[in-house]
Parts: sequence; structure tokens; C-alpha cells
Amino acid sequence: MQNSNISDARGVHSPTLKSNRLKSTRIGSGIVHDYWSDLFAAKDSGKKVVWYNGTYIPPFFQAHDVAWVHGEAWSAYLAARHVEGDAQSAGESRGYDRELCSYARTHIGQALMDKKDLQDGKIDPESPRGMAISQLPMPDMIVNAYPYCSSGQQWDEMIYRLFDKRVPIFHVNVPMLWGGRKDAQYLAGSEMDDKVAYVSRQLRAMTEFLSENTGRKYDWDRLSEVMSYIKKSAELRLEAMDLCTATPSPASFFDWIVTIAHVNFMPGTQRLVDFFEVLKAEIAQRVADGEGAVPDEKYRFFFDGMMNWNKVGWLAEKFAANNACVVAGRYTHMSFWQEPQAVNLADPVPGMAHNYLACPNNSGAPYMIGEIDRLCDKFKIDGMVMHVSRTCRGMTNSQHLIVDSARKHGRAALFFEGDVADESFYKDELLNTRLEAMIESLDSRRAMVA
Amino acid sequence: MRAILESFAAAGADSLGYAARWKAEHGRPVIGSFPMHFPLELAHAAGALPIIIQEAEDPITDGEGAVFSFYCGFNRSVADQALKGRFKVLDGIMFGDHCVQLLGTADVIRWNDPDMPIIFEQPVSSLDMAWAFAETRQVYAHLKQEIEELLGVVITDDALRASISLFNRNRQLIRRLYALRIEGRAGLTAREMQHVVKSSMVMDRAEHTALLEALLAEIEASPPPAPQGLPVYLSGHLCQAPKLELLDAVEQTGMVVVGDDLYHGYRYISTDVPEDEEPLAALAHWYIGRNANVPCPTRADGDADWDDFLIRDIRRTGAKGLIVLVAKFCEPHMYYFPEIMEACDREGILMLKLETEHDSMPMEAFKTRLETFVEVARRRLAATPPAAHVQVERSDAEQQYQ
Ligand code: SF4
Ligand code: SF4
Repeated sequence: MQNSNISDARGVHSPTLKSNRLKSTRIGSGIVHDYWSDLFAAKDSGKKVVWYNGTYIPPFFQAHDVAWVHGEAWSAYLAARHVEGDAQSAGESRGYDRELCSYARTHIGQALMDKKDLQDGKIDPESPRGMAISQLPMPDMIVNAYPYCSSGQQWDEMIYRLFDKRVPIFHVNVPMLWGGRKDAQYLAGSEMDDKVAYVSRQLRAMTEFLSENTGRKYDWDRLSEVMSYIKKSAELRLEAMDLCTATPSPASFFDWIVTIAHVNFMPGTQRLVDFFEVLKAEIAQRVADGEGAVPDEKYRFFFDGMMNWNKVGWLAEKFAANNACVVAGRYTHMSFWQEPQAVNLADPVPGMAHNYLACPNNSGAPYMIGEIDRLCDKFKIDGMVMHVSRTCRGMTNSQHLIVDSARKHGRAALFFEGDVADESFYKDELLNTRLEAMIESLDSRRAMVA
Repeated sequence: MRAILESFAAAGADSLGYAARWKAEHGRPVIGSFPMHFPLELAHAAGALPIIIQEAEDPITDGEGAVFSFYCGFNRSVADQALKGRFKVLDGIMFGDHCVQLLGTADVIRWNDPDMPIIFEQPVSSLDMAWAFAETRQVYAHLKQEIEELLGVVITDDALRASISLFNRNRQLIRRLYALRIEGRAGLTAREMQHVVKSSMVMDRAEHTALLEALLAEIEASPPPAPQGLPVYLSGHLCQAPKLELLDAVEQTGMVVVGDDLYHGYRYISTDVPEDEEPLAALAHWYIGRNANVPCPTRADGDADWDDFLIRDIRRTGAKGLIVLVAKFCEPHMYYFPEIMEACDREGILMLKLETEHDSMPMEAFKTRLETFVEVARRRLAATPPAAHVQVERSDAEQQYQ
């Protein structure tokens, strides 16, 4: 049977948008907006700036009163505003292959090549491209803390070299949790204990690096205070996510996607806590009212893979147009402050290390997939939407295995191609066809059961 | 000499077959290791035959649905071999190198063969951090313990020292071959040099060392071969051996390879393990030290630059051009390639980049590009006064060849 909504899905520009996005995310946008404004003014207010990549270490920076630029976030920022293409071309012109991580290519290309072209008057400062570059403050320090993905570390080594090694760099190794020991479990066992201790040692050393480069003593009490807000926000977020076991789901993966920034690199403040309070309240109200993120929810999906930042709205509408709610995802539901209970505010570092190690990619496939299957059961998932993000091997590594397991659990699955920040890899037609096929197979399965 | 080279070639071409025969003959275990930074000495000291897992020649079939097509050929081939059941001869695999693609492939192996013991240990990848040595020593201590548990043996310090010494001897002999190559006295083709190094990754080290000694004795006793062509340097190709027909094409188009930093080349044998310190500490020093000798793009090391090394080594070997072999989708290499390109531009070194793939190699197109490269290099040389030619510098590093 041909699904009648498929043609609508192609016409996502039609005036009748079907996805019912959360209203409170607008409050969240204000926090993000202010973060970028503060960052762009950081040098004016006399702050040192650290560029970092990898896990969510900003509480360490916030507690030390330095401003931070997350390379991935900056690339996503540009991609979301559709100004990433020129930056990527700038990278390509220096010889960076198109098959390299597009976050890295955007960051390297934009921050350095474009910056130079702006200085040389080759880019109009009033153009969107010129405006974006001129705002980004250059680094006084670089910190790399990338779990699992070697590309993340090499990216910062390039940044270090492109600044002629003049900006001091610090690496935190976040080793993989392979899970080969007899007592291994998801985020538990002696391997986890050893690695928490190892990462904690490095994080403490990182605070010395910050002190050395600012001439100021590290304020551990302030770190506990910042973490109190982060911890509370993370708890509220998880509670709100849990409410989405309801049918229809009151929020979708795409709502969670737009709040990634808040648990990834927004400052830990009461304002952040308030935002998650409001978000949770809105979701609770929707559950009480039986209101869904997709009004006629018929199918529930799990999104796997890195986000396709230039396609967030597009994809949200495409699935909604098919009465499909993407309820949960690996990126949103397994990646950021997922284990707030591990953080002891009196001594937050080991608990922070615990959370950093919890990056889902960083756990061996059997453990990570066990957790995905558990989430899929919990959220009553019918099918898996696998975003094969071409240049992000960190997230594509185990996707065949995830699908293998999902199918064993009776779930449908589709793969679609795209990328984190390089639009040219996205194939809309392919997604349409595969989505159509998956929905057909779910329908016929249901018909048989009926 | 022919017979020795043929036995090297055979072991390299069918490393798992060699391992199976060795196992049947010796009744001892075989441990596979992923490239590029694991000390095989530990498995050797435990009585096993350690082998570096190699890319296979056959097309990717079973592995197609396990690893995406945008992964390097080595990963795709390893997954394919695993799914074809080729690793059954192995009693275990050790890995933990810092390449995201390899981490995924190891999981593919585990998923499809949960009974295969896979030991994972991750040495520190940022070598200039203060704790790199201490933590890496710790990682190797743990690796030792895991190998002991897997094989049910105790690795004594004496056994480990003996293995270190044997491996060092093996590396030193290959480096001697490299020194003879620079002097134009080795008389080995690039294909044969690969046979020598690749077989050293998989053969019984005592057997390999004895054969190497015989090979060197013959070479040193032979009259030096006549000069063969434009001296060039080969760089790149991490983890996987460049295809032999590509190496042949370089020579057939009028070049002679005088130096390389290939993993199946000088990179693999560049550095010895210190013999005058506690063995685990020595292995950690070896791991960190080899990056200073031949920088690896999979490591983070602010003190070592691949491009600087290359410029130095090109000068040391007297090469008149650089051929960079990039395995398609190899991220570490793709990150560092612009640095190498710019360094060559700066230093006036002629460079050619060839991107290789597991399945399809456009050999005719490669040959045309190689011919053009030789022509341009010759024209350049003819236009430059002899005094301005790249000087052959004798560096400290070369002292260890002797
Ligand atoms: S490849 Fe993916 S995981 Fe790795 S650095 Fe890029 S975005 Fe991050
Ligand atoms: S370092 Fe390069 S060749 Fe080696 S496994 Fe990684 S991508 Fe492949």
C-alpha cells in the first residue's frame, strides 16, 4: 500500500506544518543567544578564551571565568545558518579532503582561512559570512577532550599547528570502555573505575593548565556551585524525557535536539535550571492533555547517528508528515550528562569524568547497543532511523550492529545518508523511498497482527 | 637470495596461512595485533607467534554489510576477513590504537565472533602530556597481565628482555638494508623491500632474523648494482601495505625508491626498545620515542611534525621527489596532508599524491601521472645547477643504521 503522506513529506515547504514543537524551547533559544553574545564580547570584557573540542567540559571553564568556544558547536552554528559552505571550501582549498569530518573542516576553514581573507579584505565584513567570522574570538588556550573519536584529537592538533603552535594546547585522553573484563557492564565494573580515576587525574591537571595560562588559582568551590546547576538541569531533563514514554509522545527527538546546546556547553546557572523546569512542566501538561509532538502519532522511531544540522526542521516535518514521531535518539538520549547521580557536589571531578566516559560511542558495541535496545523498549519504538553521517565515523562505526540487534528485537530499520555539517552528502530522495518502504512494512506487519 | 626473498614474499602474502603452519608445527598460540603501536614483544615473550593483521587481497564481499564503504580499505578488509572466518587461526587479538575506524572494526569482529578473545588497551595518544610515559607503562603492564591470563603463562622479565633483544636485532638488520638502499648498494626493488618488512611483521622472528642475516651477507658481498633511475621517496600508507603493482609502476616509470616512511617500511622498524632499563618502561619509551623518529599522524605530539621529518628524510636519502600514497578515507593522513603539501611547496620539493583504494586501482592513470612526474623532475634537475640539488645529509638517525 502506498502511504499517502509520503508525497506531503517531500513538500515540507507546504504551509501546513505538522510537527507540534514545544513552545518552551523558545526560552532555551534566549539562553543560547546570550551565550553567543557574551562570547563575542569576551575579549572586550577582558576574558581569556579557550577553544575546546569533545566532551562537555565547560563547567571547568566557567568556574575559572574564561570564555569557551566549542568547535563542534561553532560548526553547527554555521551549518544551522547555512553559512558553512564557504568555510568548507576554504578548507578544501588548503587540501583538506571532503571525506574528513565536516565539523572539523568547517571550523578549520572558517576560523582560519576565512579569518585571514577577512583581514585581507577579500570577504565583505557586512556579509553573513564576514559577520560570522569577525565575531569569533581567537583562542588563548586550546583544550581537547574527545572521547572515542581520533578525528577529534587530530582536528585540534591541526588548529594548534595553524596557529603556529603559539596557543598552548592541553589534551585530556578519554579512553574507550571496551568492556573486555569479566566484571564489565554498561558504565560499571573495574575498567570503568580505572578509567574514571585516569580521566579525573587529567581533568585536575587541566585545571592547572588553566591556572598557568591565566595566572589565577583554580576555584574548586565555584566548580561545585556551577555543577549544582548542571546536575539539577540534567536531572530535570531526564525526568522530562521519561515523560515521553506516553502515547502520543509529548516531545520529539527534534525538540531534544534543539536543547542539546543547553546540556552540552551552556553555562551552569539558575536560568538553565529554570528553563528545564519550564520544559518539563510543558511536557507534563501535554501528557495530561494527551497532546503529541506529532498530532496523529502512528509510528514511533529512534534516531541514530550524529545530527544533520542543516536539516533539523526539514527532517522534523518529514517524519511528522508521515505521522511518525521520532521519540528518542542516541545523540539526544545517551550523550550529555546522562548520569547526573554520579556527580557528588562535594567532589565533582570523578562524577564528571564518569559522565564524560558515558559518551555512548565510547562504550563497546555490545554495551552501547544493550542500552539502545533498552531505550527502544522503554519508548515503545517501532523503527530505527539510521542517519549515516558520511564524515563522522565516530557515530557510524556500529550502525550495522545496531540495526542487526534492532531487527532481532522486531524493529524495522532504514539507513539514510547525510552528514553533520556538509549538506552535499544528504540524499532526500533516498530517505523518502526508504521511509516509504519502512512505513509500508510496519503497516503490513500491523495488518497481519490485526 | 632469491629463495629468501620468495619465502618473505610468501609469508607476507598469506600471513594467516603461515601462522596456521607455524602453529601446527610448534603447537603454540598465535596472537593477532592491529597496527600500528602495539609491542609485539609481549606476546612473543609469552611463547606466542605475534602477527600484525594484514589487509587481504580479495575483494570485499561478506564485509560489505558490516563496515561502510567510506572506511579505509584496511578496515573493510579486516572486517571482511573476520566475517569469512579467516581469523579462526588466531588465539586472540590485541588492539586499542587511536584510530576511530579501527575501534569500530574491532567491535564488528567481536559481534560476529564473541568467542574470539580481544584484548583492548589504549596507550596514551597525546605523547607530549606529562603523564604519557607513566600511563603508557601502566597500559603495557595491564596488557602483559591480560596476555598472561589469556595464554595461561607468566611472562618473566628475562623472557621479555630476550624478545626485546631479538626484535631489536631484527629491526637493526632491516635498517641496515635501508642504509644500503640509500647508498645504492641494496639492489632490492620496492616490492622486495616490502616483502622484507611485511614478513617481519608476521614471521617467527628468530627464523626471519636468520634469513635476514643471510640476505644481508649476500647483498654486502655482491657488487653494487648500476644506478637505476630518479631517486624518490615514498610516504604515507598507514596500516596497510601499498599494492605491489603500484610499487612496480614507480620503478617501471624510471624511478628508484631510496627512502620511505611507510608503515610497511621504515616506520615499522625505525626504533629499538631500550635494552638497559626495566622492560615495561623500555616499551613505553619505545612507544613515545618512535614518534620522534618517524611522527605518526594518529598521535598528538606538539614536538613532532610529520612534514618536518619528511623534509629532513628526503634530504638525508637524496631523493629528488616525494610520492605520497594516501589510502582513501584514512582520516589521520587526510588531516596532515595539507601540512606536507605546504612544506614541499616551501622547500621546493616536487610532490605527487596518489590516492589508493582497496578494490579498484586506476593503474593506467597512475602510470601516466608517474611518467609526468618523472619528466617534470628530470626537467627541473636539468635546469638546476648541480650545487643546488638536494643535498644528502648524514643525520644522527642514520648512525643507528650502522
Ligand atoms: S568525526 Fe564525528 S565524532 Fe569525530 S570529531 Fe568529527 S563530528 Fe566528532
Ligand atoms: S590510521 Fe588510516 S589506514 Fe589505519 S585504520 Fe585508521 S584510517 Fe585506516
